[in-house]
Amino acid sequence: MTIIAVSGGKGGTGKTTIAVNISLILSRVRGHKTLLVDLDVDNPCTYTLLGVSLREVVHVKSFKPEIDELKCTLCGECTRYCPTHALVLIADKLLLLSSLCEGCAACLYVCPTSAIKEGRKVIGWIKEAGKGVLDVIVGEAKPGERKTDDVMEKTLKYALKKLQPYDYVIIDTPPGTSRGIYEALKASDIIVLVTEPTRLGLTDLKRLYSLTRGIGRPIIVAVNKYGLKGGSYRELEDFLSREDLPSVFIPYDNSLLRSYIRGECVIEQQPQAPSAQSLLQLADKINEIEIKIKKKGLF
Amino acid sequence: MSICEIVVASGKGGTGKTFIASNLAYFLAKSNHNVIAIDADVEAPDLLLALGGAKGILWKNEYYGAEVPIIDYKRCMKCWKCIEACKFEALRKGKRGPIVDYNSCEGLGVCGLVCPVDAISFKPRRTGLLYAAYSSLDILVITGELDLGGKNSGRLVYELKRKAYDLGKKLDVGYLIVDAAPGIGCPVISSLVGASLLIIVVEPTPQSIKGAQRLLTLAKLLDIRSVLVLNKYDLNPGYLGKAASLLGVPVLGKIRYDEMVVSAYTSMTPILMLAPGSAVSRELKTTFERLMGLLT
Repeated sequence: MTIIAVSGGKGGTGKTTIAVNISLILSRVRGHKTLLVDLDVDNPCTYTLLGVSLREVVHVKSFKPEIDELKCTLCGECTRYCPTHALVLIADKLLLLSSLCEGCAACLYVCPTSAIKEGRKVIGWIKEAGKGVLDVIVGEAKPGERKTDDVMEKTLKYALKKLQPYDYVIIDTPPGTSRGIYEALKASDIIVLVTEPTRLGLTDLKRLYSLTRGIGRPIIVAVNKYGLKGGSYRELEDFLSREDLPSVFIPYDNSLLRSYIRGECVIEQQPQAPSAQSLLQLADKINEIEIKIKKKGLF
Repeated sequence: MSICEIVVASGKGGTGKTFIASNLAYFLAKSNHNVIAIDADVEAPDLLLALGGAKGILWKNEYYGAEVPIIDYKRCMKCWKCIEACKFEALRKGKRGPIVDYNSCEGLGVCGLVCPVDAISFKPRRTGLLYAAYSSLDILVITGELDLGGKNSGRLVYELKRKAYDLGKKLDVGYLIVDAAPGIGCPVISSLVGASLLIIVVEPTPQSIKGAQRLLTLAKLLDIRSVLVLNKYDLNPGYLGKAASLLGVPVLGKIRYDEMVVSAYTSMTPILMLAPGSAVSRELKTTFERLMGLLT
Protein backbone atom coordinates (compact mmCIF):
# COMPACT_ATOMS: atom_id res chain seq x y z
CA MET A 1 0.00 0.00 0.00
CA THR A 2 1.25 3.44 -0.97
CA ILE A 3 0.08 6.75 0.52
CA ILE A 4 0.29 9.79 -1.74
CA ALA A 5 -0.33 13.29 -0.36
CA VAL A 6 -1.37 16.09 -2.70
CA SER A 7 -0.57 19.56 -1.41
CA GLY A 8 0.69 22.86 -2.78
CA GLY A 9 0.61 25.94 -0.55
CA LYS A 10 -1.48 28.26 -2.67
CA GLY A 11 -5.23 27.85 -3.03
CA GLY A 12 -6.81 27.11 -6.38
CA THR A 13 -3.73 25.64 -8.06
CA GLY A 14 -5.49 22.33 -8.74
CA LYS A 15 -4.82 20.10 -5.73
CA THR A 16 -8.31 18.64 -5.68
CA THR A 17 -8.50 18.32 -9.46
CA ILE A 18 -5.25 16.35 -9.47
CA ALA A 19 -6.08 14.25 -6.40
CA VAL A 20 -9.44 13.22 -7.85
CA ASN A 21 -8.13 12.48 -11.34
CA ILE A 22 -5.17 10.47 -10.01
CA SER A 23 -7.56 8.51 -7.77
CA LEU A 24 -9.73 7.72 -10.80
CA ILE A 25 -6.72 6.65 -12.85
CA LEU A 26 -5.41 4.35 -10.13
CA SER A 27 -8.84 2.87 -9.38
CA ARG A 28 -11.06 2.80 -12.44
CA VAL A 29 -8.41 2.85 -15.16
CA ARG A 30 -5.81 0.61 -13.54
CA GLY A 31 -8.02 -1.43 -11.22
CA HIS A 32 -6.29 -0.77 -7.88
CA LYS A 33 -8.31 -0.59 -4.70
CA THR A 34 -8.03 3.10 -3.82
CA LEU A 35 -9.04 5.39 -0.95
CA LEU A 36 -9.28 9.15 -1.43
CA VAL A 37 -9.07 11.21 1.78
CA ASP A 38 -10.31 14.80 1.59
CA LEU A 39 -8.75 16.95 4.32
CA ASP A 40 -9.86 20.29 2.89
CA VAL A 41 -12.43 20.50 5.65
CA ASP A 42 -13.22 24.18 5.04
CA ASN A 43 -14.57 23.42 1.57
CA PRO A 44 -14.33 19.72 0.64
CA CYS A 45 -15.02 19.23 -3.07
CA THR A 46 -13.68 15.78 -3.96
CA TYR A 47 -17.02 14.08 -3.52
CA THR A 48 -18.92 16.63 -5.60
CA LEU A 49 -16.38 16.19 -8.42
CA LEU A 50 -16.87 12.43 -8.18
CA GLY A 51 -20.62 12.82 -7.93
CA VAL A 52 -21.01 10.54 -4.92
CA SER A 53 -23.20 11.09 -1.90
CA LEU A 54 -21.74 10.72 1.56
CA ARG A 55 -22.92 9.20 4.79
CA GLU A 56 -21.92 10.64 8.15
CA VAL A 57 -19.81 8.27 10.21
CA VAL A 58 -18.38 10.47 12.97
CA HIS A 59 -19.45 13.69 14.66
CA VAL A 60 -16.29 15.60 15.59
CA LYS A 61 -16.92 17.31 18.89
CA SER A 62 -15.25 19.83 21.13
CA PHE A 63 -15.78 21.21 24.64
CA LYS A 64 -18.39 23.91 25.00
CA PRO A 65 -19.19 25.74 28.24
CA GLU A 66 -22.80 25.43 29.34
CA ILE A 67 -23.82 28.31 31.56
CA ASP A 68 -26.26 27.67 34.42
CA GLU A 69 -27.87 31.08 34.77
CA LEU A 70 -29.34 30.24 38.16
CA LYS A 71 -25.92 29.58 39.63
CA CYS A 72 -24.05 32.36 37.78
CA THR A 73 -23.43 35.38 40.01
CA LEU A 74 -22.04 37.46 37.12
CA CYS A 75 -18.75 37.79 38.98
CA GLY A 76 -16.85 37.85 35.66
CA GLU A 77 -14.09 35.48 36.78
CA CYS A 78 -14.49 33.35 33.62
CA THR A 79 -14.36 36.40 31.34
CA ARG A 80 -11.03 37.41 32.89
CA TYR A 81 -9.51 33.94 32.45
CA CYS A 82 -10.86 33.05 29.00
CA PRO A 83 -7.70 33.26 26.87
CA THR A 84 -9.64 33.87 23.65
CA HIS A 85 -12.19 36.38 25.06
CA ALA A 86 -15.10 34.17 24.10
CA LEU A 87 -17.04 34.92 27.29
CA VAL A 88 -18.41 38.41 27.85
CA LEU A 89 -20.60 40.08 30.44
CA ILE A 90 -23.23 42.26 28.81
CA ALA A 91 -25.66 44.03 31.14
CA ASP A 92 -26.92 41.24 33.37
CA LYS A 93 -26.03 38.31 31.21
CA LEU A 94 -22.98 36.13 30.60
CA LEU A 95 -22.65 35.48 26.87
CA LEU A 96 -20.62 32.86 24.99
CA LEU A 97 -19.29 34.01 21.61
CA SER A 98 -19.07 30.59 20.07
CA SER A 99 -16.89 31.58 17.11
CA LEU A 100 -14.14 32.75 19.47
CA CYS A 101 -14.19 29.73 21.79
CA GLU A 102 -11.29 27.32 21.29
CA GLY A 103 -12.70 24.84 23.78
CA CYS A 104 -9.91 24.95 26.38
CA ALA A 105 -12.34 24.81 29.34
CA ALA A 106 -10.49 27.35 31.51
CA CYS A 107 -13.91 28.77 32.46
CA LEU A 108 -14.94 25.42 33.90
CA TYR A 109 -12.10 25.53 36.43
CA VAL A 110 -12.19 29.17 37.49
CA CYS A 111 -15.94 29.56 38.11
CA PRO A 112 -16.32 29.87 41.90
CA THR A 113 -19.99 28.82 41.90
CA SER A 114 -19.81 25.86 39.49
CA ALA A 115 -22.14 27.67 37.13
CA ILE A 116 -20.30 26.36 34.09
CA LYS A 117 -20.86 22.78 33.07
CA GLU A 118 -19.02 20.60 30.60
CA GLY A 119 -20.99 20.61 27.36
CA ARG A 120 -20.10 19.30 23.91
CA LYS A 121 -20.67 20.79 20.53
CA VAL A 122 -20.30 19.39 17.03
CA ILE A 123 -17.53 21.19 15.13
CA GLY A 124 -17.56 18.96 12.06
CA TRP A 125 -18.18 15.57 10.56
CA ILE A 126 -16.28 12.70 9.05
CA LYS A 127 -18.16 11.23 6.11
CA GLU A 128 -17.65 8.28 3.82
CA ALA A 129 -18.67 7.04 0.42
CA GLY A 130 -17.88 3.86 -1.43
CA LYS A 131 -17.99 3.78 -5.19
CA GLY A 132 -16.90 0.38 -6.38
CA VAL A 133 -13.14 0.35 -6.53
CA LEU A 134 -12.77 3.89 -5.17
CA ASP A 135 -13.75 4.80 -1.60
CA VAL A 136 -13.79 8.31 -0.15
CA ILE A 137 -13.34 9.68 3.38
CA VAL A 138 -14.19 13.35 3.75
CA GLY A 139 -13.70 15.73 6.66
CA GLU A 140 -16.11 18.64 6.80
CA ALA A 141 -16.00 21.53 9.25
CA LYS A 142 -19.21 23.11 10.51
CA PRO A 143 -19.31 26.74 9.33
CA GLY A 144 -18.84 29.14 12.24
CA GLU A 145 -16.59 26.82 14.21
CA ARG A 146 -13.06 27.96 14.79
CA LYS A 147 -11.18 24.71 15.18
CA THR A 148 -11.36 23.42 11.64
CA ASP A 149 -7.75 22.22 12.10
CA ASP A 150 -9.06 19.74 14.66
CA VAL A 151 -11.55 18.35 12.17
CA MET A 152 -8.70 17.91 9.69
CA GLU A 153 -6.44 16.13 12.18
CA LYS A 154 -9.24 13.87 13.40
CA THR A 155 -10.19 12.96 9.83
CA LEU A 156 -6.56 12.08 9.10
CA LYS A 157 -6.33 9.91 12.22
CA TYR A 158 -9.60 8.20 11.33
CA ALA A 159 -8.43 7.51 7.78
CA LEU A 160 -5.03 6.19 8.87
CA LYS A 161 -6.82 3.44 10.80
CA LYS A 162 -8.69 2.30 7.69
CA LEU A 163 -5.81 1.79 5.28
CA GLN A 164 -5.59 -1.96 5.36
CA PRO A 165 -7.70 -2.99 2.34
CA TYR A 166 -6.23 -0.45 -0.08
CA ASP A 167 -3.47 -0.51 -2.69
CA TYR A 168 -3.40 3.29 -2.82
CA VAL A 169 -4.43 6.09 -0.49
CA ILE A 170 -4.56 9.63 -1.90
CA ILE A 171 -4.71 12.47 0.62
CA ASP A 172 -5.99 15.82 -0.66
CA THR A 173 -4.88 18.64 1.66
CA PRO A 174 -6.13 22.20 2.05
CA PRO A 175 -3.98 25.17 0.99
CA GLY A 176 -1.43 26.45 3.49
CA THR A 177 1.44 25.20 5.61
CA SER A 178 -0.27 24.39 8.90
CA ARG A 179 0.41 21.66 11.43
CA GLY A 180 -2.42 19.51 10.05
CA ILE A 181 -0.91 19.60 6.56
CA TYR A 182 2.50 18.73 7.97
CA GLU A 183 1.01 15.67 9.71
CA ALA A 184 -0.64 14.55 6.47
CA LEU A 185 2.61 14.91 4.50
CA LYS A 186 4.51 13.03 7.20
CA ALA A 187 2.05 10.14 7.03
CA SER A 188 2.65 9.74 3.28
CA ASP A 189 5.14 7.77 1.16
CA ILE A 190 5.15 10.14 -1.81
CA ILE A 191 4.29 13.84 -1.88
CA VAL A 192 2.86 15.59 -4.93
CA LEU A 193 3.20 19.38 -4.74
CA VAL A 194 0.81 21.13 -7.10
CA THR A 195 1.63 24.59 -8.34
CA GLU A 196 0.85 26.92 -11.23
CA PRO A 197 3.32 28.97 -13.27
CA THR A 198 2.46 32.24 -11.55
CA ARG A 199 4.58 34.25 -9.17
CA LEU A 200 2.18 33.59 -6.32
CA GLY A 201 2.07 29.86 -7.06
CA LEU A 202 5.86 29.69 -6.99
CA THR A 203 6.23 31.78 -3.81
CA ASP A 204 3.79 29.54 -1.93
CA LEU A 205 5.32 26.38 -3.40
CA LYS A 206 8.73 27.41 -2.05
CA ARG A 207 7.28 28.00 1.43
CA LEU A 208 5.62 24.61 1.49
CA TYR A 209 8.74 22.96 0.02
CA SER A 210 10.83 24.22 2.97
CA LEU A 211 8.39 22.43 5.24
CA THR A 212 8.23 19.30 3.08
CA ARG A 213 11.95 18.86 2.48
CA GLY A 214 12.58 18.07 6.14
CA ILE A 215 10.14 15.17 6.04
CA GLY A 216 12.41 13.26 3.69
CA ARG A 217 9.82 11.76 1.32
CA PRO A 218 10.17 11.73 -2.45
CA ILE A 219 8.50 14.77 -4.00
CA ILE A 220 6.95 15.24 -7.44
CA VAL A 221 6.02 18.75 -8.54
CA ALA A 222 2.90 18.94 -10.72
CA VAL A 223 2.84 22.23 -12.61
CA ASN A 224 -0.82 22.78 -13.42
CA LYS A 225 -2.17 25.36 -15.90
CA TYR A 226 1.07 25.00 -17.85
CA GLY A 227 1.03 27.34 -20.81
CA LEU A 228 -0.68 30.27 -19.07
CA LYS A 229 0.62 33.36 -20.84
CA GLY A 230 2.85 35.76 -18.96
CA GLY A 231 3.69 33.28 -16.21
CA SER A 232 6.87 33.18 -14.13
CA TYR A 233 8.35 30.29 -16.14
CA ARG A 234 12.03 31.06 -15.79
CA GLU A 235 11.89 31.38 -12.02
CA LEU A 236 9.89 28.16 -11.80
CA GLU A 237 12.30 26.22 -14.02
CA ASP A 238 15.29 27.59 -12.08
CA PHE A 239 13.72 26.39 -8.86
CA LEU A 240 12.89 22.92 -10.19
CA SER A 241 16.38 22.37 -11.59
CA ARG A 242 18.18 23.83 -8.56
CA GLU A 243 16.29 21.52 -6.22
CA ASP A 244 16.47 18.68 -8.75
CA LEU A 245 12.76 17.95 -8.44
CA PRO A 246 10.98 15.56 -10.79
CA SER A 247 8.07 17.37 -12.41
CA VAL A 248 5.04 16.85 -14.60
CA PHE A 249 3.47 19.64 -16.63
CA ILE A 250 -0.29 19.69 -17.03
CA PRO A 251 -1.40 21.88 -19.93
CA TYR A 252 -4.24 24.31 -19.45
CA ASP A 253 -6.35 22.97 -22.30
CA ASN A 254 -10.02 23.56 -22.94
CA SER A 255 -10.97 20.06 -21.82
CA LEU A 256 -9.47 20.58 -18.38
CA LEU A 257 -10.96 24.04 -18.06
CA ARG A 258 -14.40 22.83 -19.17
CA SER A 259 -14.36 19.92 -16.71
CA TYR A 260 -13.24 22.23 -13.91
CA ILE A 261 -15.99 24.73 -14.57
CA ARG A 262 -18.63 22.03 -14.70
CA GLY A 263 -17.33 20.30 -11.61
CA GLU A 264 -16.37 17.13 -13.50
CA CYS A 265 -13.22 15.04 -13.99
CA VAL A 266 -11.27 15.43 -17.21
CA ILE A 267 -9.98 11.85 -17.14
CA GLU A 268 -13.58 10.63 -17.47
CA GLN A 269 -14.93 13.35 -19.77
CA GLN A 270 -12.02 13.74 -22.21
CA PRO A 271 -9.47 10.96 -21.61
CA GLN A 272 -7.70 11.77 -24.90
CA ALA A 273 -7.09 15.44 -24.04
CA PRO A 274 -3.46 16.51 -23.52
CA SER A 275 -4.24 17.42 -19.90
CA ALA A 276 -5.69 13.95 -19.24
CA GLN A 277 -2.63 12.36 -20.86
CA SER A 278 -0.31 14.36 -18.60
CA LEU A 279 -2.30 13.21 -15.58
CA LEU A 280 -1.64 9.63 -16.75
CA GLN A 281 2.07 10.58 -16.90
CA LEU A 282 1.85 11.79 -13.33
CA ALA A 283 0.41 8.41 -12.31
CA ASP A 284 3.31 6.71 -14.16
CA LYS A 285 5.82 8.89 -12.36
CA ILE A 286 4.26 7.90 -9.06
CA ASN A 287 4.66 4.24 -10.05
CA GLU A 288 8.32 4.78 -11.02
CA ILE A 289 9.06 6.24 -7.62
CA GLU A 290 7.21 3.41 -5.89
CA ILE A 291 9.40 0.89 -7.70
CA LYS A 292 12.51 2.82 -6.67
CA ILE A 293 11.39 2.87 -3.06
CA LYS A 294 10.77 -0.89 -3.08
CA LYS A 295 13.96 -1.82 -4.94
CA LYS A 296 16.53 0.27 -3.21
CA GLY A 297 14.80 0.83 0.08
CA LEU A 298 15.47 4.45 -0.73
CA PHE A 299 13.91 7.30 1.26
CA MET B 1 -13.34 59.33 11.35
CA SER B 2 -13.69 55.68 12.16
CA ILE B 3 -11.77 53.14 10.13
CA CYS B 4 -13.67 51.14 7.52
CA GLU B 5 -12.46 47.55 7.42
CA ILE B 6 -13.16 45.66 4.21
CA VAL B 7 -12.39 41.93 4.13
CA VAL B 8 -11.85 40.09 0.85
CA ALA B 9 -12.46 36.35 1.29
CA SER B 10 -13.72 33.39 -0.69
CA GLY B 11 -14.30 30.00 0.92
CA LYS B 12 -12.44 28.32 -1.94
CA GLY B 13 -8.81 29.10 -2.74
CA GLY B 14 -7.58 30.65 -5.96
CA THR B 15 -10.72 32.57 -6.92
CA GLY B 16 -8.96 35.94 -6.91
CA LYS B 17 -8.84 37.32 -3.36
CA THR B 18 -5.36 38.79 -3.66
CA PHE B 19 -6.22 40.07 -7.14
CA ILE B 20 -9.24 42.01 -5.85
CA ALA B 21 -7.58 43.11 -2.57
CA SER B 22 -4.40 44.41 -4.23
CA ASN B 23 -6.27 46.31 -6.92
CA LEU B 24 -8.74 47.72 -4.38
CA ALA B 25 -5.90 48.97 -2.17
CA TYR B 26 -4.23 50.51 -5.22
CA PHE B 27 -7.52 52.08 -6.38
CA LEU B 28 -8.16 53.65 -2.98
CA ALA B 29 -4.59 54.94 -2.67
CA LYS B 30 -4.82 56.48 -6.15
CA SER B 31 -8.11 58.11 -5.17
CA ASN B 32 -6.26 59.88 -2.35
CA HIS B 33 -7.55 57.71 0.45
CA ASN B 34 -5.32 56.73 3.31
CA VAL B 35 -5.14 52.93 3.16
CA ILE B 36 -3.49 50.03 4.95
CA ALA B 37 -3.53 46.64 3.22
CA ILE B 38 -3.42 43.64 5.55
CA ASP B 39 -2.35 40.21 4.37
CA ALA B 40 -4.28 37.84 6.62
CA ASP B 41 -3.34 34.75 4.60
CA VAL B 42 -0.42 34.07 6.91
CA GLU B 43 0.23 30.58 5.52
CA ALA B 44 0.68 31.92 1.99
CA PRO B 45 1.25 35.67 2.20
CA ASP B 46 1.41 37.27 -1.27
CA LEU B 47 -0.25 40.67 -0.96
CA LEU B 48 2.99 42.63 -0.63
CA LEU B 49 4.28 40.97 -3.81
CA ALA B 50 1.09 41.85 -5.65
CA LEU B 51 1.58 45.47 -4.61
CA GLY B 52 5.10 45.71 -5.96
CA GLY B 53 7.21 44.09 -3.25
CA ALA B 54 8.72 45.75 -0.18
CA LYS B 55 10.42 49.10 -0.64
CA GLY B 56 11.17 49.70 3.01
CA ILE B 57 10.36 47.71 6.12
CA LEU B 58 8.82 49.89 8.84
CA TRP B 59 9.15 47.32 11.59
CA LYS B 60 9.44 43.58 11.92
CA ASN B 61 8.52 41.61 15.05
CA GLU B 62 8.54 38.03 16.09
CA TYR B 63 5.13 36.92 17.27
CA TYR B 64 4.77 34.86 20.41
CA GLY B 65 1.28 33.45 20.04
CA ALA B 66 1.27 30.72 22.67
CA GLU B 67 2.24 30.24 26.29
CA VAL B 68 3.60 26.74 26.66
CA PRO B 69 3.98 24.95 29.99
CA ILE B 70 7.24 24.07 31.75
CA ILE B 71 6.87 21.44 34.45
CA ASP B 72 8.73 21.78 37.74
CA TYR B 73 9.19 18.10 38.57
CA LYS B 74 10.43 18.88 42.07
CA ARG B 75 7.11 20.43 42.96
CA CYS B 76 4.86 18.10 40.97
CA MET B 77 3.03 15.61 43.17
CA LYS B 78 1.66 13.61 40.25
CA CYS B 79 -2.01 14.30 40.93
CA TRP B 80 -2.48 14.33 37.10
CA LYS B 81 -5.14 17.03 37.32
CA CYS B 82 -3.40 18.81 34.43
CA ILE B 83 -3.75 15.73 32.22
CA GLU B 84 -7.46 15.49 33.01
CA ALA B 85 -8.00 19.18 32.35
CA CYS B 86 -6.15 19.48 29.01
CA LYS B 87 -8.70 19.26 26.21
CA PHE B 88 -6.02 18.84 23.57
CA GLU B 89 -4.37 15.68 24.89
CA ALA B 90 -1.06 17.52 25.09
CA LEU B 91 0.00 16.01 28.42
CA ARG B 92 0.70 12.40 29.34
CA LYS B 93 1.93 10.56 32.40
CA GLY B 94 5.68 10.26 32.86
CA LYS B 95 7.88 8.88 35.61
CA ARG B 96 8.64 12.22 37.22
CA GLY B 97 5.37 13.91 36.31
CA PRO B 98 3.46 14.99 33.20
CA ILE B 99 5.24 15.12 29.85
CA VAL B 100 4.22 17.88 27.45
CA ASP B 101 3.62 17.17 23.75
CA TYR B 102 4.40 20.63 22.43
CA ASN B 103 3.01 19.77 18.99
CA SER B 104 -0.45 19.26 20.44
CA CYS B 105 -0.28 22.05 23.02
CA GLU B 106 -2.50 25.00 22.12
CA GLY B 107 -0.78 27.26 24.66
CA LEU B 108 -3.95 28.34 26.46
CA GLY B 109 -2.67 27.66 29.98
CA VAL B 110 -5.41 25.52 31.53
CA CYS B 111 -2.89 23.03 32.99
CA GLY B 112 -1.38 25.85 35.05
CA LEU B 113 -4.83 26.91 36.26
CA VAL B 114 -5.64 23.51 37.71
CA CYS B 115 -2.24 22.62 39.20
CA PRO B 116 -2.69 22.69 42.99
CA VAL B 117 1.03 23.09 43.79
CA ASP B 118 2.14 25.68 41.21
CA ALA B 119 4.40 23.21 39.48
CA ILE B 120 3.63 24.60 36.03
CA SER B 121 5.07 27.85 34.73
CA PHE B 122 4.83 29.20 31.19
CA LYS B 123 7.13 30.46 28.54
CA PRO B 124 6.07 32.29 25.40
CA ARG B 125 6.50 30.34 22.16
CA ARG B 126 7.18 31.99 18.84
CA THR B 127 4.53 31.13 16.27
CA GLY B 128 5.29 33.57 13.50
CA LEU B 129 6.52 36.88 12.23
CA LEU B 130 4.75 40.12 11.51
CA TYR B 131 5.94 43.22 9.77
CA ALA B 132 4.85 46.47 8.22
CA ALA B 133 6.33 47.66 4.96
CA TYR B 134 5.76 50.26 2.32
CA SER B 135 5.40 48.55 -1.02
CA SER B 136 7.26 49.96 -3.99
CA LEU B 137 3.93 51.58 -4.94
CA ASP B 138 3.97 53.41 -1.58
CA ILE B 139 1.09 51.43 -0.14
CA LEU B 140 1.42 50.52 3.51
CA VAL B 141 1.10 46.74 3.95
CA ILE B 142 0.92 44.86 7.24
CA THR B 143 1.72 41.24 6.71
CA GLY B 144 2.60 38.17 8.70
CA GLU B 145 3.90 34.68 8.30
CA LEU B 146 2.89 31.74 10.41
CA ASP B 147 5.94 29.61 11.17
CA LEU B 148 5.96 26.56 8.90
CA GLY B 149 3.94 23.71 10.36
CA GLY B 150 2.48 26.09 12.91
CA LYS B 151 -0.94 26.31 14.52
CA ASN B 152 -3.45 28.98 15.43
CA SER B 153 -3.03 31.33 12.52
CA GLY B 154 -6.16 33.09 13.83
CA ARG B 155 -4.28 34.57 16.77
CA LEU B 156 -1.62 35.94 14.44
CA VAL B 157 -4.36 37.48 12.30
CA TYR B 158 -5.87 39.20 15.36
CA GLU B 159 -2.44 40.61 16.14
CA LEU B 160 -2.00 41.85 12.55
CA LYS B 161 -5.34 43.61 12.75
CA ARG B 162 -4.56 45.10 16.16
CA LYS B 163 -1.29 46.53 14.81
CA ALA B 164 -3.10 47.84 11.73
CA TYR B 165 -5.71 49.64 13.87
CA ASP B 166 -2.99 51.16 16.09
CA LEU B 167 -1.04 52.38 13.09
CA GLY B 168 -4.24 53.37 11.30
CA LYS B 169 -5.31 55.69 14.11
CA LYS B 170 -1.90 57.33 14.20
CA LEU B 171 -1.81 57.85 10.45
CA ASP B 172 -5.47 58.81 10.11
CA VAL B 173 -6.22 55.86 7.85
CA GLY B 174 -9.70 55.59 6.34
CA TYR B 175 -9.64 52.05 4.98
CA LEU B 176 -8.20 48.72 6.00
CA ILE B 177 -8.24 46.16 3.20
CA VAL B 178 -7.89 42.63 4.54
CA ASP B 179 -6.83 39.87 2.14
CA ALA B 180 -8.14 36.80 3.99
CA ALA B 181 -6.97 33.20 3.92
CA PRO B 182 -8.96 30.69 1.87
CA GLY B 183 -11.60 28.70 3.73
CA ILE B 184 -13.86 29.41 6.67
CA GLY B 185 -11.63 28.44 9.60
CA CYS B 186 -9.81 30.15 12.43
CA PRO B 187 -7.85 32.77 10.40
CA VAL B 188 -10.93 33.74 8.40
CA ILE B 189 -13.04 34.13 11.54
CA SER B 190 -10.33 36.42 12.96
CA SER B 191 -10.34 38.41 9.72
CA LEU B 192 -14.11 38.85 9.85
CA VAL B 193 -14.59 39.78 13.51
CA GLY B 194 -15.13 43.55 13.62
CA ALA B 195 -15.19 44.04 9.84
CA SER B 196 -17.44 46.61 8.19
CA LEU B 197 -17.96 44.70 4.96
CA LEU B 198 -17.14 41.34 3.41
CA ILE B 199 -16.42 40.99 -0.29
CA ILE B 200 -16.90 37.36 -1.33
CA VAL B 201 -14.94 36.59 -4.48
CA VAL B 202 -16.50 33.78 -6.51
CA GLU B 203 -15.64 32.22 -9.83
CA PRO B 204 -18.29 30.48 -11.93
CA THR B 205 -17.72 26.90 -10.73
CA PRO B 206 -19.78 24.69 -8.42
CA GLN B 207 -16.74 24.32 -6.11
CA SER B 208 -16.46 28.08 -5.66
CA ILE B 209 -20.20 28.57 -5.10
CA LYS B 210 -20.15 25.86 -2.45
CA GLY B 211 -17.22 27.56 -0.68
CA ALA B 212 -19.01 30.91 -0.89
CA GLN B 213 -22.16 29.42 0.64
CA ARG B 214 -20.14 28.12 3.57
CA LEU B 215 -18.43 31.48 4.00
CA LEU B 216 -21.77 33.23 3.89
CA THR B 217 -23.12 31.00 6.66
CA LEU B 218 -20.17 32.18 8.77
CA ALA B 219 -20.68 35.84 7.83
CA LYS B 220 -24.35 35.63 8.85
CA LEU B 221 -23.41 34.13 12.21
CA LEU B 222 -21.03 37.03 12.76
CA ASP B 223 -23.60 39.49 11.39
CA ILE B 224 -21.35 40.95 8.71
CA ARG B 225 -22.71 42.64 5.64
CA SER B 226 -21.64 40.79 2.49
CA VAL B 227 -21.44 41.53 -1.22
CA LEU B 228 -20.30 39.39 -4.16
CA VAL B 229 -17.69 39.94 -6.80
CA LEU B 230 -18.06 37.52 -9.71
CA ASN B 231 -14.54 36.97 -10.96
CA LYS B 232 -13.68 35.33 -14.32
CA TYR B 233 -17.44 35.42 -15.06
CA ASP B 234 -16.97 34.99 -18.81
CA LEU B 235 -15.49 31.50 -18.34
CA ASN B 236 -19.04 30.33 -17.70
CA PRO B 237 -21.51 33.16 -18.32
CA GLY B 238 -24.52 30.96 -17.68
CA TYR B 239 -23.44 30.62 -14.09
CA LEU B 240 -23.67 34.33 -13.28
CA GLY B 241 -27.31 34.55 -12.40
CA LYS B 242 -27.20 31.14 -10.79
CA ALA B 243 -24.39 32.18 -8.43
CA ALA B 244 -26.14 35.37 -7.42
CA SER B 245 -29.48 33.69 -6.80
CA LEU B 246 -27.95 30.71 -4.99
CA LEU B 247 -26.13 33.01 -2.62
CA GLY B 248 -28.82 35.68 -2.31
CA VAL B 249 -26.27 38.44 -1.78
CA PRO B 250 -26.04 41.71 -3.76
CA VAL B 251 -23.57 41.57 -6.66
CA LEU B 252 -21.06 44.39 -6.39
CA GLY B 253 -19.48 43.72 -9.73
CA LYS B 254 -18.28 41.22 -12.29
CA ILE B 255 -14.76 40.95 -13.62
CA ARG B 256 -13.80 39.08 -16.76
CA TYR B 257 -10.95 36.62 -17.09
CA ASP B 258 -7.84 38.06 -18.63
CA GLU B 259 -4.49 36.34 -18.95
CA MET B 260 -2.90 39.72 -18.36
CA VAL B 261 -3.64 39.19 -14.67
CA VAL B 262 -0.90 36.52 -14.72
CA SER B 263 1.58 38.99 -16.27
CA ALA B 264 0.56 41.55 -13.65
CA TYR B 265 1.68 39.18 -10.90
CA THR B 266 4.87 38.30 -12.79
CA SER B 267 5.74 41.99 -12.98
CA MET B 268 4.40 42.64 -9.45
CA THR B 269 2.11 45.41 -10.68
CA PRO B 270 -1.64 45.68 -10.06
CA ILE B 271 -3.50 45.37 -13.36
CA LEU B 272 -5.12 48.79 -12.75
CA MET B 273 -1.63 50.24 -13.09
CA LEU B 274 -0.27 47.86 -15.74
CA ALA B 275 -3.20 48.16 -18.12
CA PRO B 276 -5.52 50.93 -16.94
CA GLY B 277 -7.47 51.06 -20.20
CA SER B 278 -8.14 47.31 -20.47
CA ALA B 279 -11.64 45.90 -20.15
CA VAL B 280 -10.72 44.06 -16.96
CA SER B 281 -9.43 47.31 -15.40
CA ARG B 282 -12.60 49.15 -16.42
CA GLU B 283 -14.68 46.47 -14.75
CA LEU B 284 -12.55 46.66 -11.62
CA LYS B 285 -12.98 50.44 -11.47
CA THR B 286 -16.75 50.22 -11.92
CA THR B 287 -16.88 47.64 -9.13
CA PHE B 288 -14.79 49.73 -6.75
CA GLU B 289 -16.74 52.92 -7.54
CA ARG B 290 -19.92 51.06 -6.68
CA LEU B 291 -18.27 49.95 -3.45
CA MET B 292 -17.51 53.55 -2.56
CA GLY B 293 -21.12 54.44 -3.20
CA LEU B 294 -22.21 51.63 -0.93
CA LEU B 295 -20.00 52.79 1.92
CA THR B 296 -20.88 56.47 1.91
